[in-house]
Amino acid sequence: MAGWVYLLCRWTARFGAAVMLALALLSVASIIGRALSGLGLGPIPGDFELVETGTALAVFCSLPWCYLMRGHAVVDLFWHGFSPAMQRVLELGSGLLMLLVWLLLTWRLGIGMLDYRASGEVGFILQMPTWWGYAAALPPAAIGCLAYAWRLFESLGLVDPPKLESTQAMGH
Amino acid sequence: MEPLWLAVASFPVLMALIFLRVPIGLSMLSIGLLGSWLVYGDLGPLLNQMKTLAYSQFSTHSLSIIPLFLLMGQFALLGGISGALFKAAEAFIGHWRGGVAMAAIGACAGFGSICGSSLATAATMGQVALPELRRAGYEPGLASGTLAAGGTLGILIPPSIVLVIYAILAEQNIAMLFAAAFVPGLFAAASYMLVVALTVRLRPSAAGVIPALPAAARWRALAQTWSVAVIFITVVGGIYAGLFTPTEGAAVGAISTGVLAWKRGGLDRARLAQALEATASGTAMIFFIVLGAAAYNTFLALSLLPQELAQWVGSLGLSPYAVLWAILLFYLVFGCVMDSLSMILLTIPIFFPLFSALDFGLQPDDAAIWFGILVLIVVEVGLITPPVGMNLFVIRAMAPDIPMAALYRGVLPFVLADLVRIVLLVGFPSIALFATWLSR
Repeated sequence: MAGWVYLLCRWTARFGAAVMLALALLSVASIIGRALSGLGLGPIPGDFELVETGTALAVFCSLPWCYLMRGHAVVDLFWHGFSPAMQRVLELGSGLLMLLVWLLLTWRLGIGMLDYRASGEVGFILQMPTWWGYAAALPPAAIGCLAYAWRLFESLGLVDPPKLESTQAMGH
Repeated sequence: MEPLWLAVASFPVLMALIFLRVPIGLSMLSIGLLGSWLVYGDLGPLLNQMKTLAYSQFSTHSLSIIPLFLLMGQFALLGGISGALFKAAEAFIGHWRGGVAMAAIGACAGFGSICGSSLATAATMGQVALPELRRAGYEPGLASGTLAAGGTLGILIPPSIVLVIYAILAEQNIAMLFAAAFVPGLFAAASYMLVVALTVRLRPSAAGVIPALPAAARWRALAQTWSVAVIFITVVGGIYAGLFTPTEGAAVGAISTGVLAWKRGGLDRARLAQALEATASGTAMIFFIVLGAAAYNTFLALSLLPQELAQWVGSLGLSPYAVLWAILLFYLVFGCVMDSLSMILLTIPIFFPLFSALDFGLQPDDAAIWFGILVLIVVEVGLITPPVGMNLFVIRAMAPDIPMAALYRGVLPFVLADLVRIVLLVGFPSIALFATWLSR
């Protein structure tokens, strides 16, 4: 039982980064096509739109794992000066805020998807409906809600965190 | 409360949340949403805005360059490129007094040319060079200070994720910013080497000396690194020359570095999975801050704070340089406690209009690029200043036996070198700008 949320988020994150890798390959193929346009090849049409949609998907897929791995940027300058009780309260408050904000954003993302489906807006080149991108982002956004709820349960002591080796986030 | 004062009051609340260790992105996101709600006075417009908020930020085309550069950095880590770079630099200058530390800085500069992240550069070069430095008899403070400072070359030398963010916020040309960062980046590397040279001259006991290598061995070591040069020239040169867009350049960089890592035997399945996870983590961290900053800056824009502040400062009749120094000083001070990217995302929408209203006798685009490079350098200093210098933590995590105080003392001369560089660049904008003039 323990760890299935982590496993799900981990594979979602791997999938997200793999999408970026695929987009990189796509861009390179497009550049090669453009460079060889004299030979009857050409750039991949709509690569711009695909990169945008794909990046959004990749980011939504990456967020839950980053949170579970405590990868988000924090300032812990004063943290060690707080009492353990205070630390517990802060952790709970922060986790609750995360869950609430993300539930709100996921709900609005869903409404946004319905709006775009109703309006029938499509991308410029590929004629791909805009709501498809939103629809693709919804499952990872929902996984996010699950992950943030799970972390909150962990802080409340309702579930045990699994034993995992941590990966290091490499920011900027 | 009036929107303007609401915005003013939101800042201490935001800072309080951040210091209570609420993730920075989450703090900005919640305060931004709450502030917008209060300004609107009604939930309707806010709920409407939230329908597209996250998706539109995450699908911004120019931001897609960030995960691609992160991927490139991860592949560079796996390819053992850092080791090859260090060995080559050490082969040539390692036998000088302080030479191993200088070689580490040179290797950091080389790694920075294919990696846009300071933490990644500090981490990988630390792993490679720290044991070598200590074996060669370098004082722990000097060794760790060198690597923490050398790590900042990751963002100073293009490609640079911080510059990408600045380019987007200030609506500037990424290619021109990369070009402008190049010479100050090399200058930084040279000044760090000078710091090492001066340190070992003043205190010869700070460093040991290793024997020189025969010429043939030197060229063999150098031959291991040609691929790095090819990738750098292709990516940064290609973007500069307009052969492809910055995002395409990052894609070329990611794929070519991936191929290099694979050919060097560093890319088996487990490591690929690890690289993907680290890329995902880094991507999520940055985009979450981007999302929070977008929400917070929407609130600030609604409150008209940036315009009012720019007008107010204009009405004070201060000299442009006084305002510029005040901004740079703000970054130096805040950089000691804040994460660099969050700081840029939070403040550029406020400071950039303020700066743009000043007259330094430069073309508007030149001024914007100059400001970008200055901001890049001051926030980079924040990575190596205590108490919250991320590079210091990275190095410290690798060598827990080095006391924090020794690390602080070791990095101090490098911070001084940075300050001198800032003064020079304020006095002589052409250090950064001439590369952009060449392309006109």
